[in-house]
Amino acid sequence: MKLSLLLVWVLVIGSALAQIAVAHQHRQRVQQWQQLESRRDGLQQEQTRLQLELSTLTSYARIDQRARNELNMTEPGDIRTLTP
Amino acid sequence: MTEPQQEYTSQGISHWRYWMVVAVMAALLLVILVRLVALHTVDQPFLYEEGEKRTIRSQVEPARRGTITDRFGEPLAVSTAVVDISINPSRFKLENAAPLAKVLGLKANSLHQRIESAQARGRGFLYIERQVQPDIADRVAELGLSGVQLEQKFRRYYPAAEVTAHVVGLVNIDSNGQEGLELAYNDYLTGTGGRRTVVKDRYGRVIKQVAVDAIAEPGKDLRLTLDLRLQYLAYRELMAAVQQHKAHSGSAVMLDAKTGEVLAMVNQPSYNPNNRAELNPEQMRNRAIADVVEPGSTMKPFTIAAALDSGRYTPSTKVDTSPGYLRVRNKTIRDHRDYGVLDVTGVITKSSNVGVTLLSADLGAETIWKTMTAAGLGQASGIGFPGESVGVLPYPSEMDDLRLATLSYGYGLAVSPLQLAQSYTSFTEHGCRRPATLLLDSGTDNSCQQVMSAATARKVLDILETVTSDLGTGRRARVPGYRVGGKTGTAHKVGQTGYEDSSYTAVFAGIAPISDPDLVLVVVIDDPQGREYYGGEVAAPVFSRIMEQALRLRQVAPDDAAHTTPLRMAGGPK
Repeated sequence: MKLSLLLVWVLVIGSALAQIAVAHQHRQRVQQWQQLESRRDGLQQEQTRLQLELSTLTSYARIDQRARNELNMTEPGDIRTLTP
Repeated sequence: MTEPQQEYTSQGISHWRYWMVVAVMAALLLVILVRLVALHTVDQPFLYEEGEKRTIRSQVEPARRGTITDRFGEPLAVSTAVVDISINPSRFKLENAAPLAKVLGLKANSLHQRIESAQARGRGFLYIERQVQPDIADRVAELGLSGVQLEQKFRRYYPAAEVTAHVVGLVNIDSNGQEGLELAYNDYLTGTGGRRTVVKDRYGRVIKQVAVDAIAEPGKDLRLTLDLRLQYLAYRELMAAVQQHKAHSGSAVMLDAKTGEVLAMVNQPSYNPNNRAELNPEQMRNRAIADVVEPGSTMKPFTIAAALDSGRYTPSTKVDTSPGYLRVRNKTIRDHRDYGVLDVTGVITKSSNVGVTLLSADLGAETIWKTMTAAGLGQASGIGFPGESVGVLPYPSEMDDLRLATLSYGYGLAVSPLQLAQSYTSFTEHGCRRPATLLLDSGTDNSCQQVMSAATARKVLDILETVTSDLGTGRRARVPGYRVGGKTGTAHKVGQTGYEDSSYTAVFAGIAPISDPDLVLVVVIDDPQGREYYGGEVAAPVFSRIMEQALRLRQVAPDDAAHTTPLRMAGGPK
């Protein structure tokens, strides 16, 4: 009788401690998940920013102007077309 | 111990005093008890809720709007994260206005005044600045001012700006589509925002997620059939032409001849959708779809196609157009000069009004109408663009001989540049017209409509090629190395008193290369002011410049033997 009471007591304490440990772990995981999510958002922002930068730098209007004005390129004049 | 000691006994204190102390103590205990019971029963739900309110937060995540790209994935409309900064004026200290203004780059005085007047009127919400870059918003958050709220939003950015403005359209500050495809596909592009309930500790960290109320679903991406390279060069050439001729406006539509996909669609004047401050409805209309023009002589190939398809004419059938004019009812239909006896091919080459009038009178209204209807004129294109014009095509029953005659050379009906381009795909795909599409893989029915027989279509193509020959009206539409066909058109504009004498619409609709058509291009220049106003003088050169570069970009093999050299030169590529 005394032994089983002791066993129940040990079990109750044990499960209580386990509960605390699990709750703590859960908190840490949620925090981690939050951090990863905000990192994902940050990367996504960075990606759209880079995408916009790329399309601005490679826009045809810009390349056209720089080719004409800075590199003094012209459209080919005498085009000869070769057929096999 | 000089004073006599007093003796305290129970007899010395009266009984009522003792009991009073006990009663007061008991009453206090009772009060505490009642309070405790009340807190635990009556007030419990309220208190519980208040406690939750201080730790439980509802987090809203805005959904990202889908990206719009061209056919190769070049971005045309992209959403980037920004932050809306607002305050609760009643909780905001006025002396904090200056540092806030400094970080945001606003004028401290005017911000001070705005907040002061909002406070005076007792308002609970005031936008300080919307669509702030995230890094600046971070610095506002670092100030840690009370009463300041940051809300994550998205801002739409259009990398190709003016070049694609009319097709893509734009959104308002709340990311709702206002124009163009942004409006037509608003629901498709808009995602649904997510919401979840979380528990936060006093540092604002999330410690527990209670429930997910709505899962954020980002908007879907839209892929257009446009080719940004072709779009850009069409825009550049059209703009140059509109400026050169001081025209009122202009449009160009380029279709893939085999699929009906819209590869380029540009208009002048255009606008920059990234700068909402200077918007003007006149610039925002997508004229290629929303405006109609009288197509003029560009309709003649359909009269010819009807004639050839009837089996009663061949390209070499003789038509006597002398003396160069013809009276129908009370109107005289004129050619530029007396062309005498032409064959059916020559009627198109010379663009003879008298010739097509004779043909149409012989064929009858029903036949002409059937061909033009099958070609999609006067009908919605099904492209799904807001504000599309259906155009006007009169019914055979409404047509007397005069209206039939004018219809045969392109007056008395109205078509949009898109409809015109679409109708010309009748000639390229063995007589089967492809409906124009703007979305890649849209899953819509792309089956074609038979307008004429394949043999007729081939003959019309060959006839159209003669227009760019030395004898034709569209010589300036030629492209070196390629066989090009098309039709010029010049229509008097309709003013308040009927057709105006000195106001024109110059049109060129063409196809290249003729041996195996790849592109259909329509150029419309509205109201050119210079000495040149004919379609062959104003629109045809634009067609030539756009087409030449487009064919090269698309790596279409040259098919004009007269302008190519066989690959046998010494030192040439092997």
